[in-house]
Amino acid sequence: MPCDFLLVEAYDKIVLAKVMKERLLDPVSIASLSEGLSELVDRHPRINLVIDAGDIGYLSSAMLGKLVALFKAIKAAKGRMAIGGVKPSLMPLFKVTQLDKIITFYPDAGQAVTEFRRNPL
Amino acid sequence: MSLRILAGDPPPCGGVLLAREWPSRLDLKQDALDVVAAVLFAHALVGEDDRQWLVLCLDEAIVNAMLHGNEGDPGMPVAIEVTADGDRWCVTITDRGAGFSVDQVPDAEDPESLLLEHGRGIRIMSEWLDELTYYRGGAVVRMARRRSAPARSSDAV
Repeated sequence: MPCDFLLVEAYDKIVLAKVMKERLLDPVSIASLSEGLSELVDRHPRINLVIDAGDIGYLSSAMLGKLVALFKAIKAAKGRMAIGGVKPSLMPLFKVTQLDKIITFYPDAGQAVTEFRRNPL
Repeated sequence: MSLRILAGDPPPCGGVLLAREWPSRLDLKQDALDVVAAVLFAHALVGEDDRQWLVLCLDEAIVNAMLHGNEGDPGMPVAIEVTADGDRWCVTITDRGAGFSVDQVPDAEDPESLLLEHGRGIRIMSEWLDELTYYRGGAVVRMARRRSAPARSSDAV
């Protein structure tokens, strides 16, 4: 079942996925988003995925684990992934869990798209 | 961050503001989280600015107790106690499990752990809490922090 809070726009080889949910704490939401994002990776070979996280206010370590799994799948498919628009109050979460060392973050999703366009794979 | 897992019971932490049990059902996790957070806000022990971190920490600890401690068995309750002693509050969560060992938690300093898909919950909780200590071999978690909201005269506990 497609994730009902994921808005996807694909232009050229860049896929922008906006997460339209504030809380990513319950198992159903986490599984739905994870499946929705994984489908994008399956559908777009060597995907350039930009996740717009601007609406997210809460996410659990379980969701962080899903993002790591997604990152590994994209890396294995020789694609790339970036996250844009993380709320400043949430950024320490990515820093303390050191995800900022493996995933590229941008102040907003538009900047990530611009950067991917400027430096195509 | 050094993870502390002790054998005994947690020391007292002031007067009891809440003592309740919930079955280990994830569909009840949000209720448990809301009830505990409401007590901490009502007593001005946590400020509105800290809502996000409080929710994240409670979520991690309650999920750990329900899923890992009690293995998701709805017949095994999770007991939650909120206490406060002056400017310090404690949330103590007890499951019926056998606890765990330090070896089961990925080492945050190990570069190999960067790509693991689990084991970040304790790091998240440690970031915001003043104290995160496990007792009874890991079946009890004590979360403590100083008051972060301006104290009101009626909030003496």
